[in-house]
Amino acid sequence: MDTSRQHDSGALPGDFAIWIFIFAELLVFGVFFLAYAFSRANNVELFNESQLELNRLAGAVNTIVLLTSSYFVVRAVASIRANDTRHCGHWLLAAIAVGGVFLIIKMFEFGEKFSAGVSLSTNTFFMFYLSLTFFHFMHVILGMVILAAVLLKTRRGGYSADDHTGVETGASYWHMVDLVWLILFPLVYVIH
Amino acid sequence: MSTKPLIRPCTLIWLVLLALTGLTYFVGKSGVTGMAVVSFVLLTTLFKSQMVVDYFMGLKHVRPFWRGLLFGYLLLVCSMIGLAYYLSLA
Repeated sequence: MDTSRQHDSGALPGDFAIWIFIFAELLVFGVFFLAYAFSRANNVELFNESQLELNRLAGAVNTIVLLTSSYFVVRAVASIRANDTRHCGHWLLAAIAVGGVFLIIKMFEFGEKFSAGVSLSTNTFFMFYLSLTFFHFMHVILGMVILAAVLLKTRRGGYSADDHTGVETGASYWHMVDLVWLILFPLVYVIH
Repeated sequence: MSTKPLIRPCTLIWLVLLALTGLTYFVGKSGVTGMAVVSFVLLTTLFKSQMVVDYFMGLKHVRPFWRGLLFGYLLLVCSMIGLAYYLSLA
């Protein structure tokens, strides 16, 4: 696919099918976020007290980690547009590695909560916290799998400046995962 | 003379996003509450999200419909979260 023509036409980057998936995912997360916010309106004290038990620093560090990983993906796309396959691969690998850091921090956070006896049935706040963050966690894993597939094809010389729809498709999904976390972090960890 | 910019636009956006994340963290850590703080954090979130949409996803130059659809989504979600917090304070 000629990507320069795609940009001139004002079309979305990557395969259009991934955008259907992205919009569907955003809709699901949006409903989840509003369910959290309006449930909180009926249980303000419980939500505020429970929120204090969260590791806000881990949440902030993970936001920085995901933003950095997204930035690396932006650099990967810029590299392939310049026909620099080698650097595209390097940036993708860095993005996946940093995505792995997100998973490690999140697992540490989950471990901390589970060892303190927190579960889905502890209270409404923790039901939302665990469901929302675990749902997002699964999306990070899926995003990393997609980026790994793009990386493999990049290393095999499957993409070029003229044909890199696959790189843009993987990048778009990964940015969506980042976008969702940008709302999740202040909602669940910060505002009270 | 080289016309290469000192810093790439996407790098600048990334640094701004990191700085705003730090600011959001410290607002949360300070323990201050109230609708003004919630509004500030939500507006920061809306701005950060739109930066990701425009510069990371690369939607700044796509058809206005698609960019508007994502901005509409972000605006709706942040506004409704703000409304829920307003109702909890009322």
